[in-house]
Amino acid sequence: MRVIKTRTWIIITASALAVCAVLAAWLTLRGAGGTVANIYRDGELIMSIDLALVTQPQTFTLSDESGTNTITVERGRICVSEADCPDQVCVRAGWLSGSASPIVCLPHRLVIQLGSGGADTATG
Amino acid sequence: MRRVILCLAAALLLGGCGAKQQPASAQIFAMDTYMELQVYGSEELLTQVEELIYSLEKAVSVTDEQSELYAVNRDGAGELGELAAGLLTSALDMCRRTGGALDISVYPVVRAWGFTTGDYRVPEREELDALLELVDYTAVDFDDACVTLAEGMEIDLGSVAKGYAGEKAAELLRSGGVESALLNLGGNVQAVGSKPDGSAWRVAVKDPSGSGYLGVIELSDQAAVTSGGYERYFEQDGKTYWHIIDPATGCPAESGLISVTVVGDSGLTCDALSTALFVMGLDAAAEFWAANDDFEAVLVSESGEIYVTEGLSERFTPADESAEVTVIARD
Repeated sequence: MRVIKTRTWIIITASALAVCAVLAAWLTLRGAGGTVANIYRDGELIMSIDLALVTQPQTFTLSDESGTNTITVERGRICVSEADCPDQVCVRAGWLSGSASPIVCLPHRLVIQLGSGGADTATG
Repeated sequence: MRRVILCLAAALLLGGCGAKQQPASAQIFAMDTYMELQVYGSEELLTQVEELIYSLEKAVSVTDEQSELYAVNRDGAGELGELAAGLLTSALDMCRRTGGALDISVYPVVRAWGFTTGDYRVPEREELDALLELVDYTAVDFDDACVTLAEGMEIDLGSVAKGYAGEKAAELLRSGGVESALLNLGGNVQAVGSKPDGSAWRVAVKDPSGSGYLGVIELSDQAAVTSGGYERYFEQDGKTYWHIIDPATGCPAESGLISVTVVGDSGLTCDALSTALFVMGLDAAAEFWAANDDFEAVLVSESGEIYVTEGLSERFTPADESAEVTVIARD
């Protein structure tokens, strides 16, 4: 009896630990990369990327009649690495990884935005 | 122009139970920037805010040949409608108040640098000196609705128009009974009331030296506007030239500041002062703040030091808790 009881406890404890570990890993992943990057053109959502799930750096282009933006994603962050717009404001915005202002390419009407991340909006 | 709209909210608002917590919201491209509007409790008023923004853009755009301001710049004189006239009156007040650190007639100089088109260049000193002859807000003759400019002069209200739009939109929403709204006009943030749960809006201030944020300001029923040297700039021969032009020199303002955020009741005042304090530099900005009582500010120097005026220090939390924040006090 005593042996079975101990074994039961071991199983319960181990299971509880396993559940905790999975939960912790999930929360950490969500918290760290925790953000989905939404890309809008003309105010319309054209792409959503969960940055926490990006394992390899990736580059792709978004084009329409106004021009082309090259987007680079890495784990937890996203940027416009190249663009053929005249002002280059979107490229100079650099990496978007916190809850800062969205990356905006006015000439191409493209906006890249992360989930709120604690603040309601941003200035600057 | 670039005005494509996405209204997300209608269905949510009409959705019954629990719908009170969902704002009517819109994302629009207007006044040469990207705007996000959230209004709790009234989709109709959100539409009116959009219309107000478009009306103002239509009146004071410097590139739209149909605008009232375009005609004034082209003909050297003209008449302004009520909205544009209100904006010009307030803008000229701010030019006077800041002793010309803000000058709405600096437009020809800004254009010479290419900041209006993206065709950046460094003008010769002689060219700038010739253009500076035209820069003088006191030569704008404005009587009631009629504006007359000196020969060759052109004005641009872009440095104050978004702040004014936010302020007017907030007035419209408040008079319509809205108690909670957050308008972000390209980084010009205007809050109406607080969040629906009664807590203050949390506004992140962009870190001028990185892609994250410098800190968070708690904001209720006020505006917060930032001017930064990192927003629009170009590099040539290893030197950075940004879009905030000092009307005294005709060159990008090198005051030692890299970012200025102004918080206050009037969106237009905040918009005007964020530019003017950037041009003035830290010491003059601190003196100006001490002599006035209608705004607070966060100022960041080029070396990354953060300064916060006394009245805002309790409401500003740096993102990096170990960051040193110097509080500017009135003696």
